[in-house]
Parts: sequence; structure tokens; C-alpha cells
Amino acid sequence: MINTLALRFLTYNYMGFHLNKPFSYLIKYNTLLIFLIMMVVSASISEAFFTATNLSNLIRQVAPVGIISMGMLLVILTGGIDLSVGSVVAMIAVLSALFTQSMPLPLAIAASLACGLLVGSASGYLVSYQKMAPFIATLALMTIVRGFGFIFSKGAPVMVDENASALTDFGSESFLGIPNPAIILFIIFGITSILLKYNVFGRILIAIGSNEEAVRLSGLKVSSYKFAVYVITGGLAAIAGIISTARTSVGSPNLGVGMELDVIATVVIGGTSLAGGKGSAFNTFLGVLIVGMMGNVMNLLDIAAYSQQVIKGLIIIFAVLLQRFQEK
Amino acid sequence: MINRVELRDISKSFGGIAALKNVTLKALSGEIHALMGENGAGKSTLMKILSGAYQKDNGQIFIDGEEVLIRNTHDSKELGIGIIYQEFSLVPELSVAENVFLNQLNKNGAWISWSKIKREAGALIESIGFQIDPAEKVTNLSIAQQQIVEIAKALSERVKVLILDEPSAVLGPTEVQKLFETLQKLKNEGVAIIYISHHLSEIFQIADRVTVLKDGTSSESLKVAETDKASIINLMLGRSLQTMFPQRDSKRGKEVMRIESLYAANKVKDVSFSVHEGEVLGIAGLVGSGRTEMVSAIFGADEKSRGRVYLSGKEAFLTSPAKAVKQGIGMVPEDRKRHGVLLSLSIKDNINLSNLAAVSNRLGFILPGKEKEVTEQLMNKLQIKAPDGNIGTGKLSGGNQQKVALAKWLTRDCQIMIIDEPTRGVDVGAKVEIYNIINELSVQGVACVIISSETAELMGTCDRILVMREGQVAGLLNKDEFTEEAILRLSIGAGH
Repeated sequence: MINTLALRFLTYNYMGFHLNKPFSYLIKYNTLLIFLIMMVVSASISEAFFTATNLSNLIRQVAPVGIISMGMLLVILTGGIDLSVGSVVAMIAVLSALFTQSMPLPLAIAASLACGLLVGSASGYLVSYQKMAPFIATLALMTIVRGFGFIFSKGAPVMVDENASALTDFGSESFLGIPNPAIILFIIFGITSILLKYNVFGRILIAIGSNEEAVRLSGLKVSSYKFAVYVITGGLAAIAGIISTARTSVGSPNLGVGMELDVIATVVIGGTSLAGGKGSAFNTFLGVLIVGMMGNVMNLLDIAAYSQQVIKGLIIIFAVLLQRFQEK
Repeated sequence: MINRVELRDISKSFGGIAALKNVTLKALSGEIHALMGENGAGKSTLMKILSGAYQKDNGQIFIDGEEVLIRNTHDSKELGIGIIYQEFSLVPELSVAENVFLNQLNKNGAWISWSKIKREAGALIESIGFQIDPAEKVTNLSIAQQQIVEIAKALSERVKVLILDEPSAVLGPTEVQKLFETLQKLKNEGVAIIYISHHLSEIFQIADRVTVLKDGTSSESLKVAETDKASIINLMLGRSLQTMFPQRDSKRGKEVMRIESLYAANKVKDVSFSVHEGEVLGIAGLVGSGRTEMVSAIFGADEKSRGRVYLSGKEAFLTSPAKAVKQGIGMVPEDRKRHGVLLSLSIKDNINLSNLAAVSNRLGFILPGKEKEVTEQLMNKLQIKAPDGNIGTGKLSGGNQQKVALAKWLTRDCQIMIIDEPTRGVDVGAKVEIYNIINELSVQGVACVIISSETAELMGTCDRILVMREGQVAGLLNKDEFTEEAILRLSIGAGH
């Protein structure tokens, strides 16, 4: 309702009324606008929203999706997509729990990460060297990896070994009041942001997304860059899987069903073009928070899960319609 | 005879750049009127105004003496204007009959009588002297047959004015003859035909009158029977070659690249040649003769090519553009907007793209100061007209975009520069500047390979010209052998 009003208000302003500067700035960077609107709305309809416990909960909840969304952003910038991330989260959650039973913790974490990177390189190989459509290649990997999750776990959740309490402690503890998973999210957001803004790597990804053939004809190894973004995303999905195991002390093969869509939604709400070549880490991060707030505030208001899905979908549509103004 | 179509004082500009200035053109009923001019002279703009794709800024259009308004492509069709573009507008997966009647399929309500449209399409094609099975899918036809279908499609709409844009470019000699017969037939039926071409010999073969467009202005219409090639060339160029092209004092050094029996993309067969330090080698040939495919293969952009490439005497395996670039080869591709520049990125991003290592530190972090310096230096050197390097490349004119595509390679020390159509869609001023850049590169010892469809351009800038025909080397001309005729003869296979 409020979003509808906001949209109408904005549209009227676009029809020719004079816009003052800060306001037009907000329209230009409208992911920020949506974020602010969501925050004001959330705070005004639920008193429980602006409490330290709730905010810390919120950020802890969004951490897995947030971490993966940074990788997904890179993939989408090159004009690709990765549908396998939810399955990777599940498989790695299972594997990391299993590994704690048979090897020392640092090794278990390293091995889990390596498995995530391996899945990422499989997608990357198919997409960049076999020229398979990213949608198809990662769709196939999505079911393969989901299947492996079930095979490794024999279909049941796997408990973390008692000796690996350092892992579960890490998952539940905070540093300076910020939950550890959120700290990892901040670090990864920071690195992505710097890579995209100041590094050759980010520059080339954006260039590939805007015109792959022209980049190839400029003498750059497009294939290796495309390969790299899938590997990175696989690795980030693995980190999200390990975090999930750390938080709950179990690795469940049922985790992350439909998570790839949540991740893609955050990237799109962040104003990233699915055609590639346009998007930023900061806006994607805002997208993560927007999606997180939606779920959080609806939970606080005790909205039924089914209605939540409908509302979430509608908000995504409005958010993307708002992005359109930017392009005109 | 009456003026079937008359264009009076048509002007059109794009973003302050005039594409057409008071162009006047009259074509009579039952006349073949040739429209000539170099690339970028305004031929296609003029056509698009007639087709309704563009709106004229000024001027009047008359059909059969009455002033008409062409607001969109529908208006143009209603007025009986048919246009056959270089790029066909056929639907490959539909049958010949369906394509011929594509715009009229819904005229008789929701139902289509297949037998009727097949019969009519067949009759129409026969009436212009060809036999094509109306049930055949267009994708299975030869290029020449497709062109016939295009003409049949235009005729099905009962055209009064038929415009053909470079129709012979995709046809073989016998097919061209058949096309000419068809045009004669249409002419006798009273259609006014505007025939766009830059093949002089064709004009003398088929046209009644000729009008030359140059830099957006039209010449007087000359009767073909009363003029000669030299006066048409004069009108087309409008200035002598000496002022367009830099004075060249070529110093040919040692051989830097040798190609031996190159095959690529089914279009290049057994091509061998070599290029020397400081030399400008031109590649001539008709569209479709394999020129672009050949240089793409050398640049490593065609994975399926085979043949040997020697760089300074050593065999090089150029299996990707990345490898070619590493070995000192640069290429400005033919299709600027699709392959040459990244339109959505800034001038700065484009210029530095092929040598990001030079503007970043060891960890890959970009050094903004260095980046700005390189960009500004090259923008000055190439006279790229934009307020600064942060302007989006898509906002620049064709000439400035082309300079950006060139500038990208000047960030590296290329030993060999391949430039495919260096001045296509570029205004005359920028052309001269681009010629100067090419000349300067060669003076510095860079071996330049230039592909061009403009013969005058090749003759003015190159030291030697290699002519291709049907994927093979048809001949190699030295500077003292350069004549427009010699190049054309080799290109179409009419002997030396």
C-alpha cells in the first residue's frame, strides 16, 4: 500500500513537477530510496524493529544470502546466472558437518571450501569453455549437487562432531556486538566493492557484460574471467553453507531450496541489469538488506507465511518498476 | 513522362551534424535512376526518409506530382514505395510464398488460403523471369534467390517506386545480369527505379540518369549517355585525392608478418601474403570476398582457421585474440558498434581496455591519475572531440567512436595494425584525420593492413593492394599499378 503510494508520488513528480536536488538524487539512486522507505515503514509499523536484538537477528539472517549475492553479482555482471548456489549451500552444510567427524576443524573447513570451489569450476568450465548457456549449465549442476547432498547425508541431517565446538561457537557468537556471520558478510562486501570499483578485475567484468565480443577482440581472455566468477560464487556458497552448519550444529541436505531465487532477487532489487554490464556491490548490499527487512518485519507483524510470499513478490515487482525510472 | 517521385530540398541532421543538405532528386516513371556516392554520403539516410524510418527536417516529397507526408513505414508502403535493403528483411523459417505476402497475410480476415498465395507468389516470381518453388523455406535459398523474393515482395505491394540499395553486392555476375533484366522489365511497366550503387560500370550498363550524393548534398542529375566515368568520379570525390590523403614517403623495412596458405570459415581459401615494417597494405575485394574473415583468422578470432602465420620469421600460433595482441597485433574490427567499442562504457574505459596493465599496479588496482593521463594524451593526439574521458562512448559521433577504437591500440606498442573499414560511416573531416593517423603509424614502422570497400581510400593510403575474390588472392598491385579499374577487374574476376 505504502509502496504503491510512493510509486504514484514519484510518478507524479516525473510528470513534470520540479524536483529538488536531494530528491532527484534519491531517484537516481533509487535502491537507496527503496531501502530508506522500507526502513521508515518497518520502524513505524513495528516497535520491535529498531531494537538491538532484532537488528542483530536480521543481519545474522541475511548473512548467507548476502554473502552469495556478492558472487551472484559478479556472475550477473558478466551476463550470466548461477542457479546452483542453493544446492551448494546444502551439500557443503552436509559435507562440513561430515568432515568435522573425520578430520581436524581447519582441514574440515578447507576441504568444504574446496568442494564449493570445485562445483563453481564445473559451472565455470561448462559456461566459459564449453559455451553452454549459464542457465542450463547451472540448472543441471543445481540438481546434481542437490542429489550429492542427499547421497552424502543419506537423506538425514548430519550432526557436527562434539570436538568441533569451535565451529558452533563461532556461529553463535558475536564480535563487538555484531554476529560473526554478519562480520564475514561485511568483509566479503568490502572486498567485492573494492574489486569492482578500483580493480582491473571488476572493470573487465563490467566490460564483458556490456559487450563480450568487443572485449575478446581487445585481446582479453574473456573465458578465464567468466570461469573465475563461477568459481568465486561456488566458494561463497560454500562459506554460506559452513556458516549455516556453524549456526545450527547440523548440516541438512534440505537447506537452501529456492535460495538461488532469493539471491537473484537481492541482486535485481539492487538495480543490477540481468543483461550484464551494470550493477554495484553497494546497491546489491542494500538489496540484501531490503529483502531481509521484508521478511523480518513481516515476521514481527505475525503475517502468515503464505501471505508473506505474495507480498514479497509484489515488493520485488515494485522495486524493479522503480528502477526503470533510472534508465529514462 | 512524369516525375514519379520528387524530393525537393530535403534536409536532415542528427544531433547537430547535417546528414543531408537540400537534397533534390527526381525520378521519372519508367526510368532507372542511379544514386551514387561514397559511404557516409547520405544515401541510406535519404532512403530511410523515403521509407518512413526517419523524418525529414525540411523539404518536400512529391509522388506523381502531389505532395505527400511520410510519417512512418506504413505511409511509405501505402504510397507505393518499395525498398530493398542490403540486409534482407525476409523471415528465414517461412516459405517463399509467405514471405512475399507477409504484409498482406491478414488482409482477408483470419484465414489464409495457402494454395492461393503459393499460386500468386509463383506467378509473381515468374513474371520477373525466375523460377523459385513458392513452398521452399527462404533459409534454403541462395542469396540471389532471396533477393528475387525481396523484389517479388515489393512488387506484391504494387510499387510505383522501387529503391534498391547496392543490390549487386551479394550477387554473382550471371545473377547481376538477371537482376538487370528484371529491372528493365519493371522499368517498362512504368516503375521508377532508384538504383543505389558505387559500381561505376553497373551504372553505365543499366541507368538512364545518375545523381551523385556527396557529404549530404546532391549533384545535378546527369544523363548517363552524355557523361563519362571521370566526371562521375569527380562529383563523388569532389576534391582531388591529394588533399584527402597525407603525402606518403614510404620506407619499407623488413618483413614482419607472413601468412602461408590460410583457410578460414569456408570463405578464405589458401591465402598467402606478407607485410613489411612501415608498409600500408590494402585489402580490396567485394563484400563477401572473405576479407574480414581472413583478418579475423589472422587475429585469432576464428577458432577453426588453419594455415601458418610467421611473425618476424618465427612461426606464431595465434589461436586467440589474446595471443595475437601479446605478439604485437592490433585489430580495429569492421563492425564498430558491435565489436570495436563498448558503447555503454566511457571513452576512458574503452581506451585503456586493451592495456589495463599499463594503468594499474601489480595487484591490479587501477591508478586513476595514470589512467587519466593516458586517456587525455590519446584524446589530444587523435583529436577525439568530447569534453572529457568520462563521456559515454555511445554519445559520440561515428568518427569519434572510430578514433576511440583506434586509440585503444595506441596504448600498446603494436607492430602490426589491422584496420577493417577504417572510415565507414565517418564524416570527411574525421576521415582525413584517420588517414593521418594511419600514415603516422607506418612512419613509426608499424605494418598496417587496411581493408576497405572504398577503392579511392585504398589507392590514397596504401603502398600495395591485395585484391581478394571468392576467398582467394586475385592479385597484388604495386603503387604504380593502382587504378580503380584494375582493382575492380580483379575483384570481379574480369582478368587483369
